[in-house]
Amino acid sequence: MTVKTKKKEDKRIGLFVCHCGVNIAGVVDVKKVAEALKDTPGVSMSTDYVYMCSDPGQQMIIDTIKEKHLDGIIVAACSPTLHEKTFQEAARLAGLNPYQIEIANIREQNSWVHSDKDKATKKAVKIVKSHVAKAIRNENLEPIKVDVKKRALVIGGGVSGLQAALDIADHGYEVILVEKNPSIGGKMIQLSETFPTLDCSQCILTPKMVEVSRHPRIKLLTYHEVDSVSGFIGNFKVRIKKKPRFVDEKLCNLCGECEKVCPQIVPDEFNMGLSFRKAIYMPFPQAIPGTYTLDEDHCLGLSPVRCGKCKDVCEPRAIDFDMKETIIEEEVGAIVVATGYDLYTMQALGEFGGEKYEDVVNGLEFERILSASGPTGGVVRRPSDGKVPKSVVFVQCCGSRDTEKHLPYCSKICCMYTAKHAMLYRHRVPDGQATVFYIDVRTGGKAFDEFYQRTVEEDKVLYIRGKVSKVFKEGDKLIVWGVDTLTGKKVEIEADMVVLAMAMVKTDGVQDLLKKLKISTDIHGFVAEAHPKLRPVESLNAGFFLAGCAHGPKDIPEAVSQASAAAAKVGDLFAQKELSHEPTVVPVNDELCSGCGICVTMCPYGARTLDPSKGVVDVNEILCEGCGACAAACPCGAAQQRNQTDDQIFSMLRAMLRE
Amino acid sequence: MRVKLKAGPEQRTFIDRIEELSGENVFACYQCGRCSAGCPMASEMDLLPNQIIRLVQMGLLEDVLRSKTLFLCASCFTCESRCPKGIDMARVMEAVRHILDPKGKDAFGPGEISPELAKELPQQVMVALCRKFAK
Amino acid sequence: MKLHYYPGCTLKEKAVALDISTREAMKRLDVELVEPEGWTCCGAEYPLTEEKIVGLAAPIRVLRQVRDEGGEVLVTTCSFCFAVLKRANKALRDDPLKRKRINAFLRDDIQIDPLTKARTTDFEDYNGEVQVLHLLEYLRDRVGTPKIKSRLKRDLKGLAVAPYYGCRLLRPQEEMAFDEPDAPRVFEDFLEAVGCSAVDYAFKQECCGSYLSVSLPDAATEASYRVLRAAQMEGARAVTVTCPLCFYNMDSRQAAIKEKFLDFSGLPVLYFTQILAWALGVDREVLGLGEHAVPADSLFEEVPTTEVRT
Repeated sequence: MTVKTKKKEDKRIGLFVCHCGVNIAGVVDVKKVAEALKDTPGVSMSTDYVYMCSDPGQQMIIDTIKEKHLDGIIVAACSPTLHEKTFQEAARLAGLNPYQIEIANIREQNSWVHSDKDKATKKAVKIVKSHVAKAIRNENLEPIKVDVKKRALVIGGGVSGLQAALDIADHGYEVILVEKNPSIGGKMIQLSETFPTLDCSQCILTPKMVEVSRHPRIKLLTYHEVDSVSGFIGNFKVRIKKKPRFVDEKLCNLCGECEKVCPQIVPDEFNMGLSFRKAIYMPFPQAIPGTYTLDEDHCLGLSPVRCGKCKDVCEPRAIDFDMKETIIEEEVGAIVVATGYDLYTMQALGEFGGEKYEDVVNGLEFERILSASGPTGGVVRRPSDGKVPKSVVFVQCCGSRDTEKHLPYCSKICCMYTAKHAMLYRHRVPDGQATVFYIDVRTGGKAFDEFYQRTVEEDKVLYIRGKVSKVFKEGDKLIVWGVDTLTGKKVEIEADMVVLAMAMVKTDGVQDLLKKLKISTDIHGFVAEAHPKLRPVESLNAGFFLAGCAHGPKDIPEAVSQASAAAAKVGDLFAQKELSHEPTVVPVNDELCSGCGICVTMCPYGARTLDPSKGVVDVNEILCEGCGACAAACPCGAAQQRNQTDDQIFSMLRAMLRE
Repeated sequence: MRVKLKAGPEQRTFIDRIEELSGENVFACYQCGRCSAGCPMASEMDLLPNQIIRLVQMGLLEDVLRSKTLFLCASCFTCESRCPKGIDMARVMEAVRHILDPKGKDAFGPGEISPELAKELPQQVMVALCRKFAK
Repeated sequence: MKLHYYPGCTLKEKAVALDISTREAMKRLDVELVEPEGWTCCGAEYPLTEEKIVGLAAPIRVLRQVRDEGGEVLVTTCSFCFAVLKRANKALRDDPLKRKRINAFLRDDIQIDPLTKARTTDFEDYNGEVQVLHLLEYLRDRVGTPKIKSRLKRDLKGLAVAPYYGCRLLRPQEEMAFDEPDAPRVFEDFLEAVGCSAVDYAFKQECCGSYLSVSLPDAATEASYRVLRAAQMEGARAVTVTCPLCFYNMDSRQAAIKEKFLDFSGLPVLYFTQILAWALGVDREVLGLGEHAVPADSLFEEVPTTEVRT
């Protein structure tokens, strides 16, 4: 929004040249710069000081603005990314509109990259002159204000989503938690025991699941999927698809009669296909909500004519074949994306035979084999014939750290869970041999290395430094071809079972959703953070926050910390009465806009839409991040960024190029 | 015996030459050993393929040039197909053979094939062998 | 139709069975094979260092000749020839420097026109225009399984045959672009199309020892034994190959294998084209079974020679 500003001819600009100790003054003759600009039209005073950002420096700016009745100032100093806010605040204190502040960068773009003092000083003069040309054309602007809807949407009901939902709800805000599966719990509920403490995964997660389901401020929507999201930070509209469960969860009393009579047998997802369930099923005993779900894809036909056995035996009459998919709409102010991960497919690594041999399993399958609630009741048995394997080979880095054919990154958790697998296997099968093939063992984490050492020293697991080239079957044995690079020996091991530590990858099932959310992802399809160090739980897209493995491989403590951090960030947002947004956005001049729509395709934030009724582009200024891509692309000059207009940029160029 | 590693340009020259001839980045190798694990000829070798590439990284030219391994590689490319870093080890082997002393003895030459054997062998094997192992 | 076919040296001498069975089979699929005029040895090994570029000259001459005769596709059966021709062709397509250097080298070639006896020296640069296909690819993509099936004259009754890919067809995958190096299908699909059942075994893509069978026979003996034994353990009645060198290592040297590995009882090795030709109704006498060290005749005898209704 612009407010009344003086005409450029009448403006009084002050120039403050910073020494930055010797950072600038060591190369640029700062006094000469101040002197050179003294008589430039529009400049009414100029001075220099050793540290403009220091308290006395700022005070000098405040006093001078008041004293000399300045209409704008230029601080020739470091990059605006560092102290623009500092000087804007100083200006505000002096009663000057903060958008009349210009930062001329004579450090990063000058003194730090040049050594010739004379030339660097000349360049500094030019840089500052160009900012004078801009400053006299700056307008007074006011931040754009917008309300915040203080409800959050959390997508994903794994440990990250649960933690984020609980924390936000405990801050006092309402949360809608959407999970696409019949129960919350995510991947963590499938794990046997967790490293490095060997806590039972279900024992530590189920209390959180119960807490979520009972929390007065959490609306739990399982077997639901987010269909679309529109709007912007503080004001999202969400359409959520309710998938028909065909069982009324309020009526279902878990008697299990339906399951007994159901004739359809389906591989059990919870047990990674190592056991079977019926088409009407409860994913696992502690599932939340505690209800049966009828899996439409495997049911004989949702009609008493076709089968209807389950409906016949359901005493509370909870089964309803006529349930339809419905859409519900919700309004939220913030969205936490906690959509988790998948494992890389074993099919991609044909040389390990994961697709061919039943006894070659991935890490999550082995978790189920180890788990007390698993298909073998916690007794380690191999899938093909139920025998207790006496020799198990674990292969790390399956698909990870393979820049050439698979995934270049380290999946981070495999070293630890493989150590855990080998240790637990040795506990369960004391006369069994566990062999781990590794390239490096990475144990950066609290008590992680101690755990790994225990696996080697106490549980006598043989770690072989080298990668496996091939796994094949001979009789009922799996033959593993590897190498020990430490002794230079090519080795062959007969194994009863092989466990592949498959890489962690993006969840394929949510890629469409992420596209709909217009949320940016990295090249591997993981949700991208706004800044790798300083803004690790925010998305680049305002109002979106990330938690857990949707963002990249991480272990449980990290996922939980990130979820809590994301919740805290949501809390920050909701603590504000209203949001303010930078006013340096790019509106559209309806008179000039031809409605070509080029800017709509250029805009990375979805801020611009073509209004078909008016034939011109419409801008949602809240979504506009002021990147200027549209302004540069607009062939008609209709898109002009506030305080960065074409006129300003050309005048800067003219000032810069004029000798 | 402690091996003294050369740190000067002399050692770089050797590595650069191998990289130039093979077109492979030998420093991409992180020594996972998968090449050796799958090599059909590894049991006959005095140095495993991953050790060859390690010695090249370290600039230990003499050890590499002395190795029998150079003449045990059948260029079957099994290592190439499984290398997580995309290094074609067969090319590295060929590059090392290329810089062997040109005045030295052939590792295997046409003279070593007896007339009786020659009658029996497919033509391609004689051409291939000479291409690979003779100067 | 006419199709350019590069037999390679070995097929003219030691692997006549592969050549003859290929021709006979393709005749029955309405394809007439034409050899490029004046073809030479391909060099057998693709040069693996950047400086041995002269090794590209021979295969490129062959390919240029195919192009100049109006051929768009060149088919081979020998894995060695296929690898050299395919890789050399790709090098000229993708690498401008190699293209320039080889064409400069080959520009001064002299060739005598067989009809007019005129000397030609003016060759047009070769830029990788021809497509090099292995016969297995050609059968899959150009002939197609339905046509092969429609021409079958004998019922092979699901004869259990182990396809052996060896090294050269599959690797390096980026250049050969033939099939998945560790989960290939093309050979299996071929066998099933002609009425065999393809035996799945873990050594189909392992090396047979290749040229080391001459310089280090023991190593090749062991390598070939591993392949044959793995195939036999999975119930194969024969192993089938595309390459004369694989054939030599696994067939001609099987006596040495048996001597060294007493648990091995012998297994016939066939060229894939012998199976194809037989299924298409070619007489047994033409298949070149006399070349085999391990008798394979019985396999062809016990299959009833009743005509299959088509």
